Amino acid sequence: MTFAILGLVLRAAVVVTGAALLTFVLLWNAPGDPAMAIAQARYNFVVPTEVLEQVRAESGLDAGFWAAFKDWIGPLLVGDFGRSSVTGREVWPDLVTAIGYTVPLALMGLAIGLAIALPLAALAARNPGSVLDRVCVALASVGVAIPQYWLGLLLILLFAVHLGWLPAMGARSTANLVLPALTLGLGVAASLTRIIRSGILEARNQSFLPAIRRRGVSPSSIERDHVAPHAAIPVVTVLGLELAFLLEGVVVVEVIFGRPGLGGFLVTAIGARDFPKVQAVVLLTALLFVIINLLIDIFYQVLDPRIGEHDA
Amino acid sequence: MLNVGNITVKRAKSVALNDVSFSIQAGKTLAVVGESGAGKSTLIASILGLLTPSQGAITWSGAPVRACRPALVMQEPRAAFNPVHSLRRSVQEPLRARKTNILTERLKRLCDGLELAPELLNRKPAEVSIGQAQRVGILRALVAAPPLILFDEPLSALDAITQKHTAKLIADLQAEEGFTALIVTHDLGYACAFSDEIAVLRAGSIEEVGTPDAFVSNPKTNYGRKLRDAAFSLGALERRR
Amino acid sequence: MRSVFALSLVLVALAVFGPMLAPHDPTAINIPNRLSSPSEQWPLGTDALGRDILSRLLYGARWSLGLAFLISVIGLSIGTLVGLAAAQGGKLADWALMRTTDTFLAFPELVAAVVIAGLLGAGTGSLIFALGITSWMRYARVARGVGLSLKNRGFVIQAKLAGLSPLAIARSHYVPALVPSLIVVWTGMFARAILGISALGFLGFGVQPPMPEWGTMLLDARIHMRSTPLQMIWPGLSVAACVLAINLCGDALRDSLVDRQS
Repeated sequence: MTFAILGLVLRAAVVVTGAALLTFVLLWNAPGDPAMAIAQARYNFVVPTEVLEQVRAESGLDAGFWAAFKDWIGPLLVGDFGRSSVTGREVWPDLVTAIGYTVPLALMGLAIGLAIALPLAALAARNPGSVLDRVCVALASVGVAIPQYWLGLLLILLFAVHLGWLPAMGARSTANLVLPALTLGLGVAASLTRIIRSGILEARNQSFLPAIRRRGVSPSSIERDHVAPHAAIPVVTVLGLELAFLLEGVVVVEVIFGRPGLGGFLVTAIGARDFPKVQAVVLLTALLFVIINLLIDIFYQVLDPRIGEHDA
Repeated sequence: MLNVGNITVKRAKSVALNDVSFSIQAGKTLAVVGESGAGKSTLIASILGLLTPSQGAITWSGAPVRACRPALVMQEPRAAFNPVHSLRRSVQEPLRARKTNILTERLKRLCDGLELAPELLNRKPAEVSIGQAQRVGILRALVAAPPLILFDEPLSALDAITQKHTAKLIADLQAEEGFTALIVTHDLGYACAFSDEIAVLRAGSIEEVGTPDAFVSNPKTNYGRKLRDAAFSLGALERRR
Repeated sequence: MRSVFALSLVLVALAVFGPMLAPHDPTAINIPNRLSSPSEQWPLGTDALGRDILSRLLYGARWSLGLAFLISVIGLSIGTLVGLAAAQGGKLADWALMRTTDTFLAFPELVAAVVIAGLLGAGTGSLIFALGITSWMRYARVARGVGLSLKNRGFVIQAKLAGLSPLAIARSHYVPALVPSLIVVWTGMFARAILGISALGFLGFGVQPPMPEWGTMLLDARIHMRSTPLQMIWPGLSVAACVLAINLCGDALRDSLVDRQS
């Protein structure tokens, strides 16, 4: 068991290293001068030619890919994300500010998603094949097909432009959080409903349930003790996928609603070719993703040692 | 002649086969008996060249076994056939690989010998009985006339009556075709009735080799004696007086 | 199965014949006639540059569906090759290839695609590369799983013993087993590619103007949300309808192909 968990951690470490390498390959191959990118990341906005040459020499850009990679990864390992190549400000404080806007949005979206998906799935699974079930599944199918950015625009159109109930743009107050969180939440709900529904149905199909029923255990305690925990397993499995969904959703949703969060941060940085900012977001995302998936894997290992790895 | 010379197969933490040697004269039958885990499957895989022993060599008439294109009859009759192909397509696979023309005459004669209606070959594996599937498996093994055929527990998936019948068909075909047979089985009764020699495999080593008569009347090792007595008491082997 | 066939026929017809049905040139600018309401001449009205929205939608179908097809096929090819190589190549190759797959999976697909397309510079080429390189991993996992399970199956061993070449074994035993699983993954990724293309277009990193692509159209329409809200409805509705149709096909295919196998 300990050995298996150690193996999982080792694997995650390999993946994170690979992710860093991949990010650097992208940076290396992006149009533009990588020496300029590194110099700007390290020093300032305006880089004199002699400094550029110095960077090129000392970061071993002329020495080749691996030397440059080593020089790039060094500061990152101690948490130094460098300076923005556009404003010259340090990346890290700005990043923290952006995360401060994104985390409440993502959590709120997840909460709304669960609040919709759980009752809907339970309702649908109560009587599989019924009209109610089909309506729930159809709603979920349509929900999955609707692009997030379009949903966001429709919500703005309805609640901000037509009804004037809620603000559309910016992040001044809590009211600003409602529409973006709803956009994310509806998307999460659509993708979760079917998974939870089939989880409940599968949990009801466990082969030992009839025997327990014959022993006279009440239906409600069977649901609580045997169906619900089993149905939770697929939900945990898709948590990793949901995280990806949330992160992807955040990028477009924040752009639509003009929120200064991680998504807006990323898109603005890409537009300005601000490499240090881009790499910071990309690496952080990958790290978060790998850690969450590692936790899920460990959760499984603890829950059931037979399941070696999950496919998410 | 099949010659297995001092082969050893090592696994990560154990030794699957330990210094195993024996030989089979052309046209003869050797039965390898032993319980599950004794190394029977590893032995078959080594002879067929599906895995390379860490030591020793296996030859057919002095050349690597692979060159004579040996055939294998498997324990699970249906698993040996691709479920989406017709049986005919699977049976013709060895011919296709050898770029030989389809031998209609031979196929028909073998079908007769195996008591298979030729139309049966148009079906999918799931559409025939286990017994029929095993006979088609034997047909596929025979179709390209290989000099050596390995039988991996060929009867254990079949019911008792079909077992007896199939064993008889294999023996008759061997008399006709003259192939060399290596039968791996845990069924001592079958081994004694249908082979020229018996080898007892236990925990990766050959315990003893001898004729069925010698083995039944007087096993050379304690383990052999135990095996024989168990077969006596279960009725798999008749006492000879 | 019949509904799958009908739906996919409609989608293919839309991509192939859609542009022929367009009443106007989708890029013809007509400033005096900008932002006009639906009329007989402009069935869905015109956009901010006076271009016919219906014509742009119909041409957009070719961009969205065609590019999504190309991207999903790229992902399918890379993923299948990687997965089969991992299944066949022995322990070390398997480990290396699957950790590579995990590494690519460490980035959320759309985020990675946005970054790649953005850094390479906006354009159709970088769009295809960005979405293609981030969409092969699921195929790889599925292909590896099928490959590993086939490797020790009786009929594959028999084919090997019969002396069939690796290519012949692949053709007659691997392909029939791979196709049902991969086609189900493929429909899902096809739908995702449509969403990805329009999302990149909407963020300004995708197909560039004046080409009529649904996401880009939405980006243009967004500014005029207050005056002509309908303009914003059509491109999104087109994306949603296509994705829904493909997902329905995928569900039906899964029910009939995969469940029947097991």
